[in-house]
Formats: sequence, C-alpha cells, structure tokens
Amino acid sequence: MSTSHIIATVLLGLGVLLEVVAVLGLSVMRDAFDRLHYVGLAGYGALLIAVAILIRESFSLIGDKALATAALLLLLGPLLVHTTMRSLRTRERGDWRDGIEREMEKS
Amino acid sequence: MNEWEIAAAVLGAAIVPCLMVCALSSATAALPALELAGTVLSSALMALCEGFHRQPFVDLALVFALLSVLGALAFARLMEQDL
Repeated sequence: MSTSHIIATVLLGLGVLLEVVAVLGLSVMRDAFDRLHYVGLAGYGALLIAVAILIRESFSLIGDKALATAALLLLLGPLLVHTTMRSLRTRERGDWRDGIEREMEKS
Repeated sequence: MNEWEIAAAVLGAAIVPCLMVCALSSATAALPALELAGTVLSSALMALCEGFHRQPFVDLALVFALLSVLGALAFARLMEQDL
C-alpha cells in the first residue's frame, strides 16, 4: 500500500465523517435556522472526498470533475444557505429586515 | 467491496435521516434537509465513480450538484410566499 493510497483513504474517511456529522447535526436540531448551519459543513466533506480522488487519479478526467463538483458545492453552499435563511425570515416576518435593530440591541 | 464503495454506502445511508426530516417536519424545516441531501448524494456519486472506475459517473455527480443547488434556490425563493 503506497503513501498516496493511505493519504487518499484518510481524506476519504474524514470527508465521510464530516458529512455524517452534518447529517446527525441536522437531525438533532429542531429549528430550521439551526439546521442550516450543517449544510455548509457538508460542503467541506465533499471537498475532502474530491481531494482524495484527486490524489488517487491525479489531474485526470475524474480528478478534475470531482474537484469541480466539490468547488461548486463549496462556493454555492454559503449562497444557498444565505438565500434560504433570508427566505425563511421573509416568510416569518413579511420582510427579512424586520426586527434586526432590536436583535442587534439585544446582543 | 473497496473503501470507495463502503464510503458510498455510508453516504447513501446518511441520506435516510435527511429523507425522514423531509417527510416528518414542516416545509421550512425540511428545506435544509433537502439541501444537505443534495450535497451528500453528490459526494456518494463521486465515491461510486472512483469505486467502480467509471469515468462517466462523475458527470452525474457534477450535474446533480449543480441541479440540486439550483433546485434548492428555486424552493427557497418560492418558500418566501405561503406555499
């Protein structure tokens, strides 16, 4: 077993672990806003898995596209979370800005 | 089974709690679960591609990642109104 094989396996395991932790966190949390935190975490798991594939396959067709998939998930993840949070606030309050000053004064 | 197939199986099993949350929670609480399931399934498809050594499978992961994000954005936008 080569060094690159071991590194790829460790990265794969860490990536899967991160995603499982994200799923467990999402299942345990009760509020939609709390659950949204774990969507971003799973993107880093996908990145670790893509890097593991890249180490195994180098910059081949599989490696490049795996990296592109992870980059897409990682870069669009925060955008998705922000949009979702804004939509849920708008749904709750009519306008997402409503109550922000009050919440900032509290904190 | 190699390590990639095992990883894909674990990730496939991890989708089940997301589906349970989608089925049992309200629409607003289910949306984060849908978004997370998209990321997990894309990762599972990447692991399957490497496990089976089939290059075309990675296209599926790439297209699914893009479409799941776009679909979730559409859901989030529609969720602003009372669905």
